[in-house]
Amino acid sequence: MSHKPFSSFEMAQSQFDKVAAWLELDEATRELLRWPMKEYQFLIPVRMDDGRTKIFRGFRVLHNDARGPGKGGIRFHPQGTIDTVRALAMWMTWKCALMDIPLGGSTGGVICEPHNLTLREQELVCRGWVRQLHRDLGPQIDVPAPEVMTGAQHMLWMLDEYEALTGKRLPGFITGKPVGLGGSVGRLEATGFGLVFILREALKEMGIPPEETRASVQGFGNVGQHAVRLYQQMGGRVTCVSCWDQKDATSYSFKKESGIDLEALLNITDRFGGIDKKKALDSGYEVLPGSAWLEQDVDILIPAALENQIFGDNVGLIHPRVRVIAEGANGPTTAEADQAIRERGIFLVPDILANAGGVTCSYFEQVQSNMNYYWEKDEVLGKLDVKMTAAFDSVLELSKKKGLSMREAAFFIAVARVAQACRDRGWV
Amino acid sequence: MPKKTEKSFPGNLIPFDRHFFTGREKFTLIGRGSLGGKAHGLARMKEILDAKISPLFGPDIQVVIPTLIVITSDFFDHFIEQNDLYEISLSKQRDDAIAQAFQRAELPAQLVGDLRALIAQVHTPLAVRSSSLLEDAMFEPFASVYATKMIPNNQLDPDTRFRKLVEAIKYVYASTFFGDAKNYMLATKHTTADEKMSVIIQEVVGSRFGNRFYPDISGVARSYNFYPLGHAKPGDGVVILALGLGKMIVDDGIGWSYSPAYPQANPPYVSIRELLEQSQTEFWAINMGPPPEYNPIKEIEYLLKFSLEDAERDGALRFIASTYRLRDDKIVYGIAEKGARIIDFAPILKLDLIPLNKMLRVLIKACEEALGRMVEIEFAISLDEKRGVPARFGFLQVRPMVVSEAKVDVSQAELTGAGVLVATDSAMGNGILDNIRDIVYVKPEKFSPHRTETIAGQLEDLNRELAASHEPYVLIGFGRWGSSDPQGGIPVNFGQISGARVIVESTLPEMNFMLSQGSHFFHNITSFRVLYFSVPHWEKYSIDWNWLREQKAVSETEFIRHVRLSAPLKIKVDGTTSRGVISHD
Repeated sequence: MSHKPFSSFEMAQSQFDKVAAWLELDEATRELLRWPMKEYQFLIPVRMDDGRTKIFRGFRVLHNDARGPGKGGIRFHPQGTIDTVRALAMWMTWKCALMDIPLGGSTGGVICEPHNLTLREQELVCRGWVRQLHRDLGPQIDVPAPEVMTGAQHMLWMLDEYEALTGKRLPGFITGKPVGLGGSVGRLEATGFGLVFILREALKEMGIPPEETRASVQGFGNVGQHAVRLYQQMGGRVTCVSCWDQKDATSYSFKKESGIDLEALLNITDRFGGIDKKKALDSGYEVLPGSAWLEQDVDILIPAALENQIFGDNVGLIHPRVRVIAEGANGPTTAEADQAIRERGIFLVPDILANAGGVTCSYFEQVQSNMNYYWEKDEVLGKLDVKMTAAFDSVLELSKKKGLSMREAAFFIAVARVAQACRDRGWV
Repeated sequence: MPKKTEKSFPGNLIPFDRHFFTGREKFTLIGRGSLGGKAHGLARMKEILDAKISPLFGPDIQVVIPTLIVITSDFFDHFIEQNDLYEISLSKQRDDAIAQAFQRAELPAQLVGDLRALIAQVHTPLAVRSSSLLEDAMFEPFASVYATKMIPNNQLDPDTRFRKLVEAIKYVYASTFFGDAKNYMLATKHTTADEKMSVIIQEVVGSRFGNRFYPDISGVARSYNFYPLGHAKPGDGVVILALGLGKMIVDDGIGWSYSPAYPQANPPYVSIRELLEQSQTEFWAINMGPPPEYNPIKEIEYLLKFSLEDAERDGALRFIASTYRLRDDKIVYGIAEKGARIIDFAPILKLDLIPLNKMLRVLIKACEEALGRMVEIEFAISLDEKRGVPARFGFLQVRPMVVSEAKVDVSQAELTGAGVLVATDSAMGNGILDNIRDIVYVKPEKFSPHRTETIAGQLEDLNRELAASHEPYVLIGFGRWGSSDPQGGIPVNFGQISGARVIVESTLPEMNFMLSQGSHFFHNITSFRVLYFSVPHWEKYSIDWNWLREQKAVSETEFIRHVRLSAPLKIKVDGTTSRGVISHD
């Protein structure tokens, strides 16, 4: 297939431009919000286990902190670019604003392939990343979190390095920490569960009982796994999941018409969400090409992997039965595909709403860490549900009132809030 | 996008829309599982109340089902499964160990958001009630088997209110597996593993007075009365009213009992002093102040008893009390004069300030028609502070009442014939039993009011054995069975003596007990057709202790004795005359 090289940041800017026009933002505000306020690009030398020194490229982009300290993940990925990081930072700004939590947006990353790094090497990358940036990070400045291929252990190494450099115990420096070491219960489930809270509201709105639906999920990492768990508890049936196969350097879809057995599948899944193909075949799963998840005869699609997964060339493959798409990943749908989906009458819940459970719970974690007082899981998930549902209601209400898509309405609310904060501060 | 539609939910109810008091429906549910018996009963009565009862008695009495949501049983299943609670639930662990394990567990993720939304907007007391599935499936009342927890829900911080609500729900879930409930299951030939629980979260009807919240009146009304007095007939039914929360009636067995056919008739009493002693002197309320202790596994964590003086200070006696006038030894209606107060509801029942009795008669009839059988209902009323009306009548529960229809004759002569072990003209129930060979009795020579809690423990152990081997037995003891005051009788709950098919309560000359006449377990007794004998020592009939002592004991402790006869006893109770007799060969 051939399509124009995809640029996440261009897509994010184009989304913003559209909303800026609706909101009739002045030129200075547009200029301020179209670009990150701060960017850091740096090198991290790491002494590898074999004695060689390898240089890794790191990033941190703070898009906007008018509403509060920056908040955003750290992605370890071999195809990472500053362009992607900029887009993710901008989306984080909108996401925090949409959820009405007092945080700005930022994102960071390191170009690396964690599959090929030992734990010690990964630790050195983490510590090196913090050493380069620690003056511009902190609970009141910019608060990192896990993202693609980073997890609780990475966050703990980073916290430890930060505390060593500052000489203080500051668990609010970072979120996504292990429970018991400053982490919040419920954080692990938050993005996936949050997505299903939103999905539940969408189905309610459409008058579709969850137990009468089937879903196909792209990505079987943290988000996908927890989304599947809660969706199944609601009575839904997941018939297909796809994931990346590191060994074959491609993705596969795993299909079972009667519904996947989550616990059994987790037993043959590695820590990066890769499902063992042979064992899956032995357990009665059809193993299909990675793109097959999109073509399934289901009611719900959940893209929960990476950006740019549903685009102009493949949007036509979506099965006529599909009625809802809930974006678990950031930016999985291109503008072209977005338009086609809208024309087909599919109810699309945009990423900045659907996957905002993660950052919302990160905010809860930071609050708890700053207080050094931790809540029960019932309380965390209860608050998360209320926040998510309230955000869904406000987006839905605006979309109906102004005849906008859910994505347009979500951006409309978010950008308006950030622009107002910039004006209130006297920046523009 | 398709238009929003509502699929059918259990009981044709609609899902909770996260607006408790402000939503368009005041009876909603969370989940798609079963409602359980209590909630099902209310759902059946909802439309009838709106269409048939409210219009007849408004505006003086506003009849409502207090705002509630039902958490259906599917969440109970999720909760047990996701927290791996089956093993401890079905174990022989103590109640507190089970309750603690449930407190440590997490509620299902898809439930907590609704609870959080509920608590964010509600600041008034809530009752968290059980609604058992077997109760519904078997159409059997499981009265007081499972827990109800009341929470003040008045803390400023929504996080605290949320935590208290969550604790209460987990406690009610845990009560499914408490010892009493398991004993009850054994007695009813169910298995605990079959049981599932729905939970009702309901507004508490009442008013706040300083640090207490309570209804002006709570009550129980029954279609059938096994103790008809004066001209009243069993089929006239019975109503019991009390000041404050209904716990006073249901658990303490205290209240103003009257026949709906003769609302102005007082219960029998020898002297006014006796009437004063027997009537209500305290009442239960929700404690809106700081709790004396933090204890999420205590059912009455937020309940306290207060005195009538407190209620009078609150202005709550105006429409429900009379006064004893010492100078002429008379009772005068109302509280205009000084003197001891009697909670006799005279302004309502005798002066007809509110057409409560009339309304109850219509309501009982409507419930009987809806359920197709005799019923028991529970309610709570809050009165207008100044005029009494309009009154808000909260319909809390309706359940079926099991009444034996068999005609049994017990003649006067039979009570004194040869081979009589126990006889009374104050028996409760109706029927004949000829399959009981086991007798468990408290030894009269060893009984002490100071050891009643020990006796209760020993009875529970023996009951467990007999219930497990499906051996029904006659239970004989002293004082009020099920008394909440250990000095007033043996403080068992029904689960601890659930295998008894005949219960005898007696007194000893050196003890001045008032007998309960089964009021503590009234519903269980009637449901399981337990025959209940009251044999106070001052009456003409007595228990043949000598014969009992001569029988060989199967087992014996310091306080109780278990004998098994070679031939079954003959046990008869005539419900129309209240005569009862237990005789041996």
